[in-house]
Amino acid sequence: MAGSADPVVLIVEDEPDVAETYRLWLEDDYDVRVANDGDQGLELLDESVDVVLLDRMMPGLSGDEVLVEIRDRSLDCRVAMVTAVEPDFDILEMGFDAYLSKPIKSAKLRHTVENLLERSEYDALLQEYYSLVEKQATLESTKSHAELENSAEYTALQGEVDDLQAELAETLDGVSDDADFITTIRELSEGGQP
Amino acid sequence: MYDLSDVLNVDALRAVQPGTSILVSGPAMSGTAGLVRDVLASGARQGEGAVSVTTNDRAATAIEDILARAPDADPAAISAIDCRGEGDTGGSETDDGAYLYHAGDPSDLTGVGIGITQSFERFEDYGIDRIRLGLSSLSTMLTYTDQQTVFKFCHVLSSRVDAAGYVSAFAIDSSAHDEQALQIVKQPFDGLIEVREREGTREARVRGIQPDPSDWVEL
Repeated sequence: MAGSADPVVLIVEDEPDVAETYRLWLEDDYDVRVANDGDQGLELLDESVDVVLLDRMMPGLSGDEVLVEIRDRSLDCRVAMVTAVEPDFDILEMGFDAYLSKPIKSAKLRHTVENLLERSEYDALLQEYYSLVEKQATLESTKSHAELENSAEYTALQGEVDDLQAELAETLDGVSDDADFITTIRELSEGGQP
Repeated sequence: MYDLSDVLNVDALRAVQPGTSILVSGPAMSGTAGLVRDVLASGARQGEGAVSVTTNDRAATAIEDILARAPDADPAAISAIDCRGEGDTGGSETDDGAYLYHAGDPSDLTGVGIGITQSFERFEDYGIDRIRLGLSSLSTMLTYTDQQTVFKFCHVLSSRVDAAGYVSAFAIDSSAHDEQALQIVKQPFDGLIEVREREGTREARVRGIQPDPSDWVEL
């Protein structure tokens, strides 16, 4: 299929006309799936989903419960919670990557989805950046200064580190937003215990 | 520009670019945490906001310590994030208006991030647009969280500081880590203050801010 390269957005929303509106706004750029409740949302959820728009207040499984299940399955997708009232930072602590308060306008929805995809890119770049810096430090600790100066591998590595740094500074505007900042940090903590 | 030269009298610290993050590195008991506190107090004396993230001191102690070094500073421009893991998590205010935030423990990076964000927002609401962020110590964090995560944490914090035009100083105990680990943790920072002890005298120098390292200066 021609559209198979588009990022996949899953809309979980119990009001059909609201879900349909979101779908219309997003379908030009994304492969959109729609679920009418939490259970169906979990059925449609697989490795291919990049972003989930999750209504918080639904009959049956609530948005919070669906989120817990998504995180339990360790799926690598971003979740934006759609809510009737503007929540505080505690919502980010719960594991949502973003929130949207109703009523949602087209530009706002599209911006949020774009931002969430950009954040995935940021995490991937950060991971790559660490790997390179670690490699560089290994070379530095095993070779002499003169050996490093003559090492093509080391020079190339340095170039790659510089490029990645520049790329990171451009992605998410170098974390210029508080919510991006908190979410990025939260994802780091999920990764690592010594 | 930020003037940090009353912490260490070298040219490199006289006009530090907004957005600069500095690692303060020295062996155990060499006073790196005190130096970070000095950076914050120096800002407080100049009317800037001070955010102190502490893994070893109570938040109230950190605030008192900064105020002792900057007696004329406005307490409302001072905030401390306590991540020792004692007491309830969340934010509160001291009687004279300083802000305290308790994170879960030194591995609760999200809590630390929220405390920092709350502090920044508070200062901005208060009309303070120049802020210094201090953290001591990364070594404690590294005993709770793996090196990769701490590295990323430092990168994200320095990116935030850079985007906002603030300044940060983080302490690390160089004797607690091997050379390779130090090399990695150094990477997210723009500059380095190295502290050493020679014949009973503490000295420091600055690298990375200007093309050449500064001379060693007695502390």
